[in-house]
Amino acid sequence: MPFLKEQILKRTQTFNHTESSSYPGSDDSLILADNVSFAYPASDGSSSDIVALKNVSIKINKGKHVAILGRNGSGKSTLAKLINALEIPDQGKVIVFGHDTSDKSSLWSVRQACGMVFQNPDNQIVGTTVEEDVAFGPENLGVPSDDIRCRVDRSLSRVGLEQYALKAPSQLSGGQKQKLAIAGILAMQPDCVILDEATSMLDPKSAKDFLKLIKELQQEFSMTVVEITHDIENAVTADYIYIMQQGEIFFSGTPREVFTRPDKVLSAGLDLPQHLYINYLFQNSFSHEALESLHEKHPDDIFTPEETVDAMFELQNIASPQTITSPAKKYSYSNQTLISVEKLSYTYQKGTEFAVDALKEVSFQVEQGEMIAIVGHSGSGKSTLISHLNGLFVPQTGQVEVMNLNTRNKKNIREIRKFLGLLFQYPEHQLFENTVYEDIAFGPKQFGFSESEIEKNIKQAIDIVGLSQDILQRSPFELSGGQQRRVAIAGVLATDCEIFVLDEPAAGLDPIGQQEIINYIMHLQKLRKTVILVTHDMKLAARADRILVLNEGSVAAYDTAENIFSNQKILTAAGLEVPPAYKFARLISEKFSCEIDGYTAEDVNYNLLKHLNNRRQSNA
Amino acid sequence: MHDRLMLGKYYPGKSIMHRLDPRTKLILLILLMVTLLIPKTILPILLLFIGSVGLIIISKIPLKEILSSLRSIMFILVFAFLINLFSGKGPIILDLGILKITQDGLLNAILMSVRLILLVIDTTLFLTLTTTPLQLSHALENLLKPLSVIRFPAHEIAMMMSIALRFVPTLFEETDKIMKAQSSRGANYDVGGFFNKIKGYISIIVPLFISCFRRADELANAMEARCYHGGKGRTKLNELRYTTLDLLFSLIFIICCVIILFTHYQMPNLI
Repeated sequence: MPFLKEQILKRTQTFNHTESSSYPGSDDSLILADNVSFAYPASDGSSSDIVALKNVSIKINKGKHVAILGRNGSGKSTLAKLINALEIPDQGKVIVFGHDTSDKSSLWSVRQACGMVFQNPDNQIVGTTVEEDVAFGPENLGVPSDDIRCRVDRSLSRVGLEQYALKAPSQLSGGQKQKLAIAGILAMQPDCVILDEATSMLDPKSAKDFLKLIKELQQEFSMTVVEITHDIENAVTADYIYIMQQGEIFFSGTPREVFTRPDKVLSAGLDLPQHLYINYLFQNSFSHEALESLHEKHPDDIFTPEETVDAMFELQNIASPQTITSPAKKYSYSNQTLISVEKLSYTYQKGTEFAVDALKEVSFQVEQGEMIAIVGHSGSGKSTLISHLNGLFVPQTGQVEVMNLNTRNKKNIREIRKFLGLLFQYPEHQLFENTVYEDIAFGPKQFGFSESEIEKNIKQAIDIVGLSQDILQRSPFELSGGQQRRVAIAGVLATDCEIFVLDEPAAGLDPIGQQEIINYIMHLQKLRKTVILVTHDMKLAARADRILVLNEGSVAAYDTAENIFSNQKILTAAGLEVPPAYKFARLISEKFSCEIDGYTAEDVNYNLLKHLNNRRQSNA
Repeated sequence: MHDRLMLGKYYPGKSIMHRLDPRTKLILLILLMVTLLIPKTILPILLLFIGSVGLIIISKIPLKEILSSLRSIMFILVFAFLINLFSGKGPIILDLGILKITQDGLLNAILMSVRLILLVIDTTLFLTLTTTPLQLSHALENLLKPLSVIRFPAHEIAMMMSIALRFVPTLFEETDKIMKAQSSRGANYDVGGFFNKIKGYISIIVPLFISCFRRADELANAMEARCYHGGKGRTKLNELRYTTLDLLFSLIFIICCVIILFTHYQMPNLI
């Protein structure tokens, strides 16, 4: 895209950059943060500032793909804002392709050079039409109209949205909105694109498409990519990784350097790629001596799945596993039907030209104590389906019965909602009361619980989600995002439902936050509650007793995880992927010439160890 | 849901009316309104009626779309008609006791209704049916630009308008989501006393407000990241341009208006 680049350069060259170009070690080919510190002013003004970054130094070469990992609140987004000159460091310097971000005159050249895609697709679209939005950046740069038109058309066709040029942004899907954001950045002809958790609100397929597009652009325009993410499987493909913890660079290196130190990665509160995590669990079952002798014989830096499986094979040749801890077992469930959905169909804007069939003859049953995962790509009808379960939608055709109460009967609705707690995506956005206590108490109060019951239930609920007593009298809006999520979950726990319907309860949380959510769900299972989980995360879905696969509004399959993940036909049709642990289990099976199954890392490890022990015993 | 809020919806097309510069349409509409409000006799209003039919024909918009804009003013229309019908002087046509319909009253009522109908039809034709809200905000920004000398924030107002337009569907979707979430928690918006209802709506309004602030904050960041720094030095993808079409159309339009006003002032006794 050479067009007009000169013009922009000319514009920017009229500014004075003497200071930045003389900065030691800097040239136009890299992004440099040198010993940077930054603090946000405290919101109440009285206490001290909130330190976001402490002595952070990074160096990113042009054309490279760099991933920045870390827990929520570790300072990743702040770092991104500093690179984009949205914030100016308190101490230290950020030099972007030769421009000092604290130099006011180079502000626009920095922002033009570094485009940024934010997390929420909706909150970064300015234009009332798709093409107006792409034009927004060049318009701000003062590019002449004809050239803007040229850039807009090229950018839109590059990301594949040309047929939507005159549509309103609200008509796009989440994945398309993020592509629109990319088009808007491309139109500014940047050298670098910063992705601030840009895929965290997308479904896996859209996320994959989006990241593929980014990879292509990186190669096509030798664009620098700075990716802030929780997605470990994608971070593995980066050229370099920075891991942040509490505002500091905890450690950094190439993916191989980083992930060959699993202890360190886990201690930063991050995930490992599944095959490395299985290896980590596997090694932990062996004695210290066995591992020592493995280190002597075998190269230490295992990173790819093949290397990993080789190392695992080597290790079991040296010694036999010491400990076998069985993974959390699944609970049995009774065959008393709690939910029964029969031939449910629903059409949005029925009878108009905009009619969309959201559900087509959906039938299924849920037994007491069961855990069901509902999976399917965006727009497959998942939200419409769960909205029927508690009577938010009345069936157009078909029946929905919850605990033998039909949702068609208006008098039943209140009772159903009392039994069936439904939590939508990002439930923290529903908080509204003055204190956490009142907010959690809102549900129970509506359902007519007594004061003493409410108090008891709240105490239990906050115990489960791990909130402390003293948080109860605070305003929910003072809390962090993760804490707000727990308050919202406590709100549904406090109504003491029989059935919990949770829509993407772990979305947008960091790995530790996600693990906590899984723990709550396991706790509910232990209490013999029925759980229905809507999720894109196959690792999570694999834990369910049965999986309901929705495709284009119809039930594609309703079966156990084993039967669904082994049926490639269903998976391809519904656009789903097998959990990465299962993929690695296939590789293990080949190497160890046996049949190892499992959909979570824990299961795969346990099944492998069990197999090795059995084999040893039969040999002896 | 949000369609109900708008007076009319943009009807895509490539007619002369669609191709006119939105500024031309705004200015001509003001002239047309003046022409509509002054005359009270049959001839000029008949001419205005014929003119408006002409405009509808060249706009190539189905009559159904145009007439649907009258639905929102039906009540006012009937009200104005009745008031005029019963308040005239002169020979009585129909005596209903206290209420008397006179010849003048009937004529006035008809003329008044026709003027109201034409006013609404022409306004929707010019402003909503053939002009996108975005074009309208561009036109306003452009026409109000001279006022920036007295520090009138023309660009800012236009930008606010277009952002508001952009977020209308998003916020409706959000309201729907919050209502569903709170209903699931047992909130009830239909039953209970007045206090309960208010309490119910608070559970929607507070999260909606908070979400608006969060969105505003994030949008401000996103705009700054894309080099937004106010209207200074800003160019436009679709720069407004007057064409010969605007010139010709305006000439004909002004001549017609002058003729109509002429018939009003020079031939007042010609019915």
